[in-house]
Amino acid sequence: MRLVEEVAVTLTSEEREVVRKRLGREPNIIEWAVIEALWSEHCSYKSSRNILKMLPTEGVQVLVGPGFDAGLIDIGDGFVLSVHIESHNHPSAIDPYGGAATGIGGVVRDILSVGTRPVALLDSLRFGEIESSSHSRWLLRNVVKGIADYGNCIGVPTIAGELEFDQSFERNCLVDVMCIGAGRREEVVLPMATRPGCLVVLAGNTTGRDGILGASFASQSLDSDEEGKRSAVQIPDPFIEKLLIDALTEMFEQRLISAVKDLGGGGLATALSELAYKGGVGVDVDLSMVHRRETDMTPVEVLVSESQERMLLLVEGQKLERVSRMLEKYELQFSIIGRTVEERFVRLRWEGTLIAELPLSVLGDAPSVARASRRPEYLDTLRNTPPPREPEDLNKVFLNLLASPNISSKSWVYEQYDYEVGVRTVVKPGDADAAIIKLPNGKLAAVKLDGDSKKCYIDPYRGAMWIVSENFRNLASSGAKPCAIVDHQQFGDPGKPDVYWCFKECVRGVADYCMAVGVPVVGGKVSFYNEDLVSGRAIKPSPVIGGIGLLSDEDMVTTLSLKRSGDYIVVLGVTTGELGGSEYYEYIHRICGGEVPLVDPLSDWQLIEAVLNLRRMGVLRAAHDVSKGGLAVSLAEMAVRGRIGLTAELSKLPVRGRVLRRDGLLFSEGGSRIVVEVDRERFREAEMALRRHSVPFAVIGETGGNEISIKMNGEQVINLTVGEVEERWHYSLERLMEGYS
Amino acid sequence: MRVAIAKFPGSNCDQDVAYAISRVPGAWSEVVWHTELSPERYELVVLPGGFSYADRLRAGAIAAHTPLIEKLIDYVKDGGLVLGICNGFQILVEAGLLLGSLLPNKGLRFICKWVSLRVMNSDTPFTNAFEESEVVKMPIAHYEGRYYAGGQALRLFEERRVAFVYADERGGVSEECNPNGSDNSIAGVFNDTFNVLGMMPHPERASDPLLSPYGTEHGLRVFLSVANYVKGGA
Amino acid sequence: MDSKSLLEGSKLWVVEARIQLKSSLKDPEGETILRDLLHKRGVSGVEEVRTAKLLRFKVRSHSREDAESLIRKVCDELRLYNPVSHTCSVRVGEEV
Repeated sequence: MRLVEEVAVTLTSEEREVVRKRLGREPNIIEWAVIEALWSEHCSYKSSRNILKMLPTEGVQVLVGPGFDAGLIDIGDGFVLSVHIESHNHPSAIDPYGGAATGIGGVVRDILSVGTRPVALLDSLRFGEIESSSHSRWLLRNVVKGIADYGNCIGVPTIAGELEFDQSFERNCLVDVMCIGAGRREEVVLPMATRPGCLVVLAGNTTGRDGILGASFASQSLDSDEEGKRSAVQIPDPFIEKLLIDALTEMFEQRLISAVKDLGGGGLATALSELAYKGGVGVDVDLSMVHRRETDMTPVEVLVSESQERMLLLVEGQKLERVSRMLEKYELQFSIIGRTVEERFVRLRWEGTLIAELPLSVLGDAPSVARASRRPEYLDTLRNTPPPREPEDLNKVFLNLLASPNISSKSWVYEQYDYEVGVRTVVKPGDADAAIIKLPNGKLAAVKLDGDSKKCYIDPYRGAMWIVSENFRNLASSGAKPCAIVDHQQFGDPGKPDVYWCFKECVRGVADYCMAVGVPVVGGKVSFYNEDLVSGRAIKPSPVIGGIGLLSDEDMVTTLSLKRSGDYIVVLGVTTGELGGSEYYEYIHRICGGEVPLVDPLSDWQLIEAVLNLRRMGVLRAAHDVSKGGLAVSLAEMAVRGRIGLTAELSKLPVRGRVLRRDGLLFSEGGSRIVVEVDRERFREAEMALRRHSVPFAVIGETGGNEISIKMNGEQVINLTVGEVEERWHYSLERLMEGYS
Repeated sequence: MRVAIAKFPGSNCDQDVAYAISRVPGAWSEVVWHTELSPERYELVVLPGGFSYADRLRAGAIAAHTPLIEKLIDYVKDGGLVLGICNGFQILVEAGLLLGSLLPNKGLRFICKWVSLRVMNSDTPFTNAFEESEVVKMPIAHYEGRYYAGGQALRLFEERRVAFVYADERGGVSEECNPNGSDNSIAGVFNDTFNVLGMMPHPERASDPLLSPYGTEHGLRVFLSVANYVKGGA
Repeated sequence: MDSKSLLEGSKLWVVEARIQLKSSLKDPEGETILRDLLHKRGVSGVEEVRTAKLLRFKVRSHSREDAESLIRKVCDELRLYNPVSHTCSVRVGEEV
């Protein structure tokens, strides 16, 4: 039996010893399978949890922090918001369509697992350089289609995201998906078995051999022989997912379920064990009762199958009939496979015969793996990269930069997503720095995902801080105060000290930032082994931050387009000259190196409060953070979206450090800055408010006309019509993907 | 106005339509599971958007074979009003209640965006709250939305059975602002007795100024029109 | 030598490539057609529906074998299907 050898393969000999010691005997093959699934890196966080402890997870609004399928935030009026982030990197690398689609399915079921209904999706995608790599274009096209087909079909809008291209993702694309859920506080159920005597119901898709050993697959590097992994392919069925969403929503409303749990990595093995040991109550399940797609499956195969669109429900006996009726209405298949029991064991049977029995004390807490950590030597070389010569024609440089896939409009992607379904999308993709949705209690929330692997490669700590800073500025520019984040940390093999050091630094960056401003991390995920065995190359360190902010009222909603001619353009925050990891260095000069901007969380927070205050006062008409491409790109985007030109004078910018060259002033991503359009008639009020908030600022120009005209000491640096800029910025990605010029 | 919103397995926009109708004074709606719906109890039956049966085979093809559709055929014969939005439109053409078919978009991609529509006939139960030829904003979101009239497009125009066409901001029609490649930019059509309307754009998503990038609520007028008609005002 | 002269004396063949999910994988579209259409409309005797995509090529070449191997190569090398999840069978129809 081939599976037997595969089952034990990812546990180390030390781990096996721990199991034997805790159990006091040699586990049988089925028991090994349970432990292996549960103790995989993917499920147990054994290499990361000591580091993740650095993250602040508590806050007044946090009802449930990390550790469950989703975090829960109190949004008042008896309502909660749930949030989770997941990746499906390895499956997407071999089957981008199915991999990305099933990634959506998984994160949506996480939201259902806490008794909430999914209301919005976000995606954060990383690929190789699509201008030169047809493989990466193929991946991007199919990943986007996978997300679109699945998300659209289940009726959950995909409302925001981000996209980054870098050579290091050529063989390891990253597909991160985040889901927001909402529900009534009293309908929340947590995925744990807290009471004996409940029936264990498995609902949804049939169990087949697809995706067997997916959890341990995700915990291994990609093999050169992609064909060999065929059993890991999972076929998405959004139809069943949609029926599960609708059936569960009705059952939540009627309080029919005691607990519900997604079957993800490790299948039933993980789901049953987690339900049991989190709640401290045992389960007794007969695997032969599971409704199966194939008739000749072995107990182990049923146990570890990762067939999608399945959920476990714990149901009290007297409610079973109503639950059955509901599942039948939605034509969902289900089977009653066992019950929760007093004894603190996970007991598995096959046609009545006991085939595995594991005490809960054996299952939880895989032993932590101590990993060596060493600062990579290449960091010094990268940091000391000399600056390039300043190009003569910055107008031309600017046009090239606008066409960079990292900068150009992402409308080709988000127009494939139904971002409207659910009638709650107040601010649509592309209209502001974050998307805004209306919550069931009538309040508004802004959400955004951000990452920046180029910066994190050169300086993991500063890069991670920068991402949080950008994320919070995005929320604030949309009118929201940051309230919680989730993080997703993605790296290569944690057994490599260089890689592990980068992981630690990225987590420390997120932790320091969030600690300083008091914003909790309510959930997250770690994905290691994102490297391919052929080249031995790991991806660039890729933390991704998903932020949620709340708006005090509808009038706070802010978009980025210029609104009116004759207003002032004001830059808030100091411009600094670090260009390491900037799109200007990477795309125009092909330089990977330099110094990464250092952000200061406390002055960021002052900036955020100032922007929100200006909006509240009604003097701010548009806001946009300065990120990829620097000030020049931010100004261009505001002008293009508003179809209004502008003039700007670079010498007016508040700067820190040495005198900056024109290219630095235009394209630096440094400092924490937000560009705003301020009502000209009420500028005095704005000025006074900004002084009160101690935020450095300068009026650098005015809105109006049909041109984007940027000068330095009165000398023209950039001069283009809004139409010319729009042509470059808006259509470059689409042209690349659709293959026309 | 009493409205039934039919829910099929895979319908996504049932609650969205209910929300829009809640904004119509005096209107009342309920979402009804397709097997339990008796059309004659309502003044309007809406087939909402979504992916009934996951759009398998062809969008709308499987839902068109359900018993509800047989009931709707009789209901329409008796003058009942049926509105099909997006997937609902696809079901209606698959069921033969409306002329034509809906093919995959010309770009072979799902498209979600706000578009401008020109109102082609404001003298019907569904459009009497619009001005003739006015340009309105609503979002589309579909993969199979390219209306193919099977050579009958001109007849549809002549018989004033075209409800909306995709247009530019001034009402001009061109291939450039025809997002999916529909015949003659057709976005919505009536049956020959004007008691069935199928449209790809989503009026329910354009029924609250807060949710419109333009601060408009043009979509609400579809529901207001029906309410007027039912009251005998049009 | 240009490609035209190379193909002198060649014929036009119809080659069909059928792409479908590997038989071990679930085919949700086929299942829905079977369950929600055929079975609900009372059709009995059908036990399985599986979907496929058919590509129909017209190929100019000297022989049936050349036409088939060209399309086989195209399907494999240009990834007209994803070998991870799908199979692709190629068949030459009658000469046009």
